[in-house]
Formats: sequence, structure tokens, C-alpha cells
Amino acid sequence: MLSSLPEAVAILLSLEGLLVLVVGTILGIILGAMPGIGSTVAVAIVLPFTLTMSQAPAIILLLAVYAGSVYGGSIAAILINTPGTPQSAATCLDGYPMAQRGEAGLALGWATVASVIGGLVSAVVLIFAAPQLAAFALEFGPIETFALILLGMTCIVSVSTGSVVKGLMAGMIGIFLSTVGGDPILGEMRFTFGNWQLFAGFNLLAVVIGVFALSEVFMRASTKQSTVSELVSFNGIVLPSLSMWKGRFKNLAKSVAIGNVIGVLPGTGAATAAFVSYAEGRRSSPNGDGFGKGEPDGIVASEAANNAVTGGALVPTMALGIPGDAITAVMLATLTLHGITPGPKLVEDNPVLIATIFSGFFVINLLLLPLGMLLSRVAAPILRVREAFMMTAIVILCAVGIYFVRGNVFDLLVMGGAGFIGFLLRRQGFPMAPLVIGMVLGPTLELTLRQGLILTDGNFLAFFTGHPIALVLGITAVAALLLPVVRSLQKRGTA
Amino acid sequence: MLKIFSIAAAAAVVAASSVSAEGFPERPINLIAPFNAGGGTDLLLRGLAPHFAEAIGSDAYVSNMAGGSGTVAASALQAQRPDGYQLAYMSVTVSTIQPQIKNVPYGIDSWTPICSIAASPTMLFVSGDSPYQNMDDVVAAVKAAPGELVYGSSGPGAITHLTMVSAFAGLGIIDDMKHLPFQGSGPAIKELTAGNIQFFGDTELLVERGDFRPLVVFNDARVENFPNVPTATEVGIEAPLNELYLWGGLFAPAGLEPEVTAKLEAACAAAVVSEGFQEFAANSGTVVNYRGAEEFNDFYRAQYDANAALIEAAGL
Repeated sequence: MLSSLPEAVAILLSLEGLLVLVVGTILGIILGAMPGIGSTVAVAIVLPFTLTMSQAPAIILLLAVYAGSVYGGSIAAILINTPGTPQSAATCLDGYPMAQRGEAGLALGWATVASVIGGLVSAVVLIFAAPQLAAFALEFGPIETFALILLGMTCIVSVSTGSVVKGLMAGMIGIFLSTVGGDPILGEMRFTFGNWQLFAGFNLLAVVIGVFALSEVFMRASTKQSTVSELVSFNGIVLPSLSMWKGRFKNLAKSVAIGNVIGVLPGTGAATAAFVSYAEGRRSSPNGDGFGKGEPDGIVASEAANNAVTGGALVPTMALGIPGDAITAVMLATLTLHGITPGPKLVEDNPVLIATIFSGFFVINLLLLPLGMLLSRVAAPILRVREAFMMTAIVILCAVGIYFVRGNVFDLLVMGGAGFIGFLLRRQGFPMAPLVIGMVLGPTLELTLRQGLILTDGNFLAFFTGHPIALVLGITAVAALLLPVVRSLQKRGTA
Repeated sequence: MLKIFSIAAAAAVVAASSVSAEGFPERPINLIAPFNAGGGTDLLLRGLAPHFAEAIGSDAYVSNMAGGSGTVAASALQAQRPDGYQLAYMSVTVSTIQPQIKNVPYGIDSWTPICSIAASPTMLFVSGDSPYQNMDDVVAAVKAAPGELVYGSSGPGAITHLTMVSAFAGLGIIDDMKHLPFQGSGPAIKELTAGNIQFFGDTELLVERGDFRPLVVFNDARVENFPNVPTATEVGIEAPLNELYLWGGLFAPAGLEPEVTAKLEAACAAAVVSEGFQEFAANSGTVVNYRGAEEFNDFYRAQYDANAALIEAAGL
């Protein structure tokens, strides 16, 4: 594949190649920053345009929109506390407090640099280690995935700002919400009360937008504020200086690694990676105590990981023909339409195409930095409008985005309901991130648990005795839960 | 007075609807994909839409209404007025399986079938390094180790699930096997490659995606690309389990006026044979299978009844 690199670079440097790279990345950033659109929809929006393109530019366009949207999600998360996508929900936790302190530009700077590094490293890993990583993905069956998701669930504790008990309750609410709809094993309907609108369950994006964005609007409307105040002061991205990175490299490296590994595993995804990385960052970072209060390490952990997922997700897609998520599934469909059969022989049969895709992916991640800075400069005046207008705009954007995804008015009701309930819960001090974690991880946790029980004939212990990877992940999960308790007991003992 | 008024109103309604049938279509036609953008159904509709629009002389746009294995869109459509401006592309599972296993607000009589567009027979396949060369090997292995071997599906009630049920219930060994449902064919194929499941079934298109060995095809004759793979009948699977097609076509709500149906049917026929759609079909591996409204209606109803047997065998 590397020998095809000169041809690949020639394709990228052609007019069509450059155009697709730049326009795709810009579109991706903008669509990702719009609340409620999300990466999947962003990719679906540009899909029809790819049908008339030649093979490589078509895939590059989809990739640019994909990577751009994952990064773009962080902009809305930091500036208006509205995760553009579920995967940037963890970015809100520290990004928005920083913005409220008046450091919005710097918060975005951390997010941008972390995103770019996460994406670039994942591109390099993709280019050099795709076959090896694909083999690793095959080691991850339902039982191993269950153990990984279990570990992910322990993040609920670390993102529970204020009260851990309330965080756990919010997490349980999220898991419960995810059980509504079709049973994944038996196909029967649960908790739908005969209403067909609930057959598909609650729309994750509608709930996320509701509990984060809409409840925020309600919170602001309910507190007395001067009507002319600006939401946040923001004049464009401020990149963190090298000295500010001191003591943060380890956190960055770890987050990139977590994103890469989780990205490779089909059926997990960027949101899982962001939360797991955030939890790990909080545990191991020297600045861990500041997490949730506007700590740059929190932004770095979330953003480096979710962007590293993009490269990781391409590994099983390109090496095995197995899509890692809904977005890579769209890419595979596009390849098929262009007469290419995805599968284990894809790389072997189309070396130039794959070299173009991989090196294009690298360039896209490089482009995130200048294009992100440019776009944020253009967007800055928009944020200076009065808060009342801004809040109205957010509500409208969210509603349009949510309706657009599935064309279903019911989803708007779900968003409204989630917003109102989220508002009530937040006023009582319930953190909302655990609810999102519960809803994101709940379905996979249930599916893989029940798949595992089918494989082991109902023997839960066999999950760990027969699967070393699951055993290690399981022990890590238990340790992640017990360590804080042990530490606080120790503190009490020495005091 | 009231009587006269109601007669006049009825006459007005008739007049209005006959006018609308004559002038049909006056506005764009919505082609609903009951699945997410970027999926197979969505792409097929997007490939068809421009040619359909050209043939009917109006705009046609594709919208997505995903969820509940396609039942959300179908449930929404059955509540719409049958005016011909709302059509959905429904597959065998959405139109004939789901209403028999779920408490959905639609059934066999809820639709005006317009035309069928595609149909592909399904195949049962194993991983390339599997020890099973034919179905006899499979039956022997299952009988030697009951309850050990696992077949996958892309979800309960999906065409992939029914393929497995047709094969193993048809050979009388399904009670000695385990079913592992996944969410979508992708993850299931990964586990087939990894060895966590031994059998999977889908259309020819998916068989070509990896190093897989098809063992049986649920068609009335052997298929061109796999001349050595026997049909279900050849390996001893009896009707109605011996043929299984992933088919799909356009449906409108029941009660569509015959004139409107005829116009839509003609447009569908012209779109399917158009050069652009044929090229799309060749690239995407779509097996075009056109049936007109009447023929499709008979086929759909026959399938609805035939699949009841499958559903019972699946224990759904």
C-alpha cells in the first residue's frame, strides 16, 4: 500500500481532491457544531453528492465530513453547553465551565489541539497497523465487549459532579430509558404501552439535546439575568502555549490510545471512548481534582479520544469490511455503489484507493486546525447576540436538527419532555452526563450480556473464567469502583 | 335538509377526488425509506427517485423515518390519507413479518401495493475455514453435539433470522441449536469470521463481502454466480420453507384510487427499466424484480400467508 503513496498524493493534490478535502472538512465542522445534527446525519446529508463523484473523492468527502463533525461537536459543547453530538457530551463538563470563566477561546484551543493530535495519531495507526488491529478486533466477542462496557459504566461515578448517589440515579434513569422499544434478543416490545411511536425506543439524540441544551435554556430562563448580557465572551480560538502543556502529555497520550483502541472495536463508538477516557483522565491526571470545574485535561481527555475513534473505526471497516458504526456503514455502502466490494481483500485489490483514503484522512486531520480557527473567527460575532435571541436560536436549531434526523414529530415531544425533566432534575442537583452514559451504553451492555449468557448457557461466571480479556477488564472495572472508597477510608484512618 | 347537505358534501368529495386523480400529481411525491439514510433501502430509493420523478412528471424526494425494524414508518404511513403523495418502500419483513409478530396498527389489508422493485434469494453460509462443506455435514455435526452450534442473525424477525429458521427447521435440527441475534449484519459477520457463531444467512451481496462458503440457496433454481450451491429443495427442505426472498416494493395506504395507482405503477415501471436505474442496480448488486400493481398485490398476499408458517417455526 505504501508504494501507492505517490499516486495517492497526486489524486489528493488534484483540483477535485483539494476541493473535496477543504469543503468536506468545513461542512463537517459546521454540521457537527449544529446541535442535533450529529455525525451520522452530517454524513448522510452529503451522501447524495458522492454518487456522481469518482471513487476516492467520494470516500474522502465522507471522511472529511465525519472527522470535521466529530471536532465540530466540541464547539457547541464548549460555547453553549450543547453537545452537537453525544460523543462531545463529556467535553461540556469542563469546556463550558471554562467558557463561563471567560476562557472560551482557550477551551476551544485545547479541544482543537487535542482533536487534531487524536485524529493524526489515529491516521498513522490506521496506515501502519490496520491488519494487526483488525485481528485484535476479532478477539473482542460479545463477552469481551460486555466487560468493556461494564468498565465504561464506572465512568458514571467520575462524571457525577456534586453527588455520586444522584449521579448513579441519573445513570439508572438513562439505562431504563434505553430499555424502551424492541427487545434485542426476543424482538418483543417493552414499555411501549401499545404506542407504535415507542417501537424504536427513545431517540438518543433527542434525549441528549433535551437534557443538555433545552434544560440549559430553561435554567437560564428561570434565573433572573440582565437581558443584554452576552452568553460567553469569545473572540476566536486561543491555542494553549507549549508551557501550558507541561504535565499534560501523559493524559493526552493515554486519551489518544483509549480512543484508538475503542474505535477499533465495532459497536462501541466515540461516545464510549470519550467517557472512558474522561474517567481515566480524572483518575490518573495530576489535575484530576479540578475535573468538572473547567479543567483543560478534561477537555483534552474527551476530545483526543473521540477524534482518535475516527481512525480506529476505519480499521475494521477497511481491513475486514465490517462497519464499526453507522457512519462507516454509510462509507461501505458508498464503496459498493462505486462498484467496489468491501471485504478482507479490499486493501489488496485497491491499493491506490486505500492509500488515497488513508493519506487523505491524515490531511483532513491536519486541516482541522486552520479551518477550525478560521470558522471560529467567523462564528464569533454570532455569539455576541443577546442571550434571549441566542437561546431562541438554540431551541429552533435543536428542533430542526432532531426533526431532520428521522422526520418524526414524536422525537420533538421526546426532546421537549427530556428538556423539562432534565430541568427539574438539574435544579435538584442531578448531573446529566450519567444519564447520557446510561442511555449510550445501556443497549450494548444489555445486548452483550444476553448474548454472552446464550453462549455460556447462562453461566455468568464463565464470562471471566474462559475469557482473559474480559477478566482483566472486569477486574479493572471493580478496581475503578473500589479505589476511591479505599482511598477515602485511608484518609479517614490517617486523619 | 341535513340529508341534502350530506349528499351534496359527498358529491363534492367525489368531485374533488376525481379532479385530484386526473391532475395527479400536483405536488412532489414523498418516497419514505423506513430505515436510516445510507442503508441499503435508502440508497435504492435514492437511486430510483430521479427516474421515478421523470416518469411521473413531478418531483419525488426521499425521506427517512427509521426505527422499530421499519414499523415506525409503516405505522405512520397507514394513518395517512391515500392520496398517492406518500409512498414507502417496504421489504418482506416490514410488510409481512413484523405485523404478524408485533402489535402494530397495520396488517395485510392496510396497503395498496404499487409495484415490486427488487428481490434477492437468501443464502446460508459459513466461514471459509469452516469444516462444513454441505448441509449433510451440518446436520451430522448438530446431531453429534446438540445445543453446541450457534447461528446468528441481524435481529429477531429479520430476513437473516428467517433464513436460518428455514434451513434448520426445514431439516428438523433447530431445537438443537442456539440463536445469537446481533444488531445488523455487520457485527454478525464479524462474529462469523471470529468463530463465535458458525452459521449466518443473507443475500448474495453479503456472501461476496468476505471469505465465506455458501451451503444452500433459498431460490427455485441454482443462482448464476454460485452454480455449485444447491437449492433448499435439493437438500431436502420442503415448502413453504424452501424459498425465501428479500423483496421490496412501493406501497401506498389502502384505498388509493385506481387511476392514481395506475399512474404510479406506470411511473415505477418506467423508472425500473430506465438506463440510469439499471446502471445503479448493477453497481449496487440490486436484483431487479418488477411486478405491476395487480401481480404484486397477489404476490404480497401469498407471501403474507406463507410467512405465517415461518414465523411459527421461528417461535416468534
